Amino acid sequence: MRHALLIAAAVSLAACGGGEADVNQTLAQANASGAQASATVANAVLAEADTPVEKTRALELMKERHEGYETIGKAMRAAKQAIDRGNAAAVKAPADQIAALAPQAIGWFPVGSGPDVGKTDAKAEIWQQRAEFDKGMTAFNAAAKLFQTAAAGGDLQAIKTAHANLGKTCGSCHDRFRTKED
Amino acid sequence: MTASAPKKTEPGDSAAAAVMEAALALPVWDLPVRLVHWSFVALIAFSWWSAEYGETQWHLRSGFTLMFLLLFRLLWGFLGSSTARFGSFVRGPRRVLAYLRDPSGWHRAGHSPLGALSVLALLGLMGMQIGLGLLLSDEDGVITGPLNRLVDFETAEWARGVHKLLFNVLLGFIALHLAAILFYRWRGNRLVRAMVTGRSDDIAAGAPAFAAAPRSRLLLCLAIAGGITAWVASGVPGL
Repeated sequence: MRHALLIAAAVSLAACGGGEADVNQTLAQANASGAQASATVANAVLAEADTPVEKTRALELMKERHEGYETIGKAMRAAKQAIDRGNAAAVKAPADQIAALAPQAIGWFPVGSGPDVGKTDAKAEIWQQRAEFDKGMTAFNAAAKLFQTAAAGGDLQAIKTAHANLGKTCGSCHDRFRTKED
Repeated sequence: MTASAPKKTEPGDSAAAAVMEAALALPVWDLPVRLVHWSFVALIAFSWWSAEYGETQWHLRSGFTLMFLLLFRLLWGFLGSSTARFGSFVRGPRRVLAYLRDPSGWHRAGHSPLGALSVLALLGLMGMQIGLGLLLSDEDGVITGPLNRLVDFETAEWARGVHKLLFNVLLGFIALHLAAILFYRWRGNRLVRAMVTGRSDDIAAGAPAFAAAPRSRLLLCLAIAGGITAWVASGVPGL
């Protein structure tokens, strides 16, 4: 069921990307790989049923998750600074870094790694509204791939747009699924 | 502080008393000082709210407005009315200590030598917050301050941490400011009312009279502060 939902989400994402052909192609590719990654995770989750991960493993994973998001945030800020400076070449490294981490991020939230287990800004809603959360993750993954492609292309305007779109996928999940920092 | 006006009031005829007091009260704060002061109050609260709730664009607008007001207040501290000028109230450590030892020896209207330190601390912290804010990027790297591209990445990262930290320091000084107001109120000085009405019945007999600043100076300060702010807010073109 979850598997089917993810595929449906990926397909619907692919369907709504209007615009130039190459953008569509990239989007389709990105969605395909995003769906692939999601499918792997979905399978893994299905295999484990909804058995929570063991606590020590969960805490390890939560640390990895925290550091991973720190790295993604830092790369987003570095990319933004490069864009502001008009330096398209300097966007490439952070864009690659984000694209490499985005598929991993989908696997950072197994059942049993929520706020009831350890210190985290991840809200319990992630596990209560799993389908919505996974949809956001798929969108993030697709946007990260598009940003990487744009950065490789070197056109500053395209990079700027792709970066802004990627930023929106960060924000939409942070608004819903992350507690505010204090 | 010694009161020049007779102190009064039965709680019963407060309306009549208020009229009498208003007539006896002398000007102490000009309108620009009061408007800037209360705008600071509102905008610092709004800046906190917009940052806390992820309204980053509003946070930036609030910051630029504060920048304009702060620049204006600094200029007004040199060109404004008598009590607005830093030269009229900022005093060295010896005078501050003398005031602490014997407040009755101080005969002026406006900020006391001790209050001056509070003014400097609050304006200084606001200036630091605005300056740091111009350097940094939001957490997700979506919105940057106009000076972000001009500093190196690590400096911007550092600025983000310090900007968060200093807000709590600013809150501490605001708490101290409020505590001082309550302390003076307990001693019979109504500082909040003076900051609202611009007049006080609590001015020492020997205090020099309040001297307003001409409108041309007001326009000059507004124009300079507005010009600098507009240049910074539009991304410091030319830099």
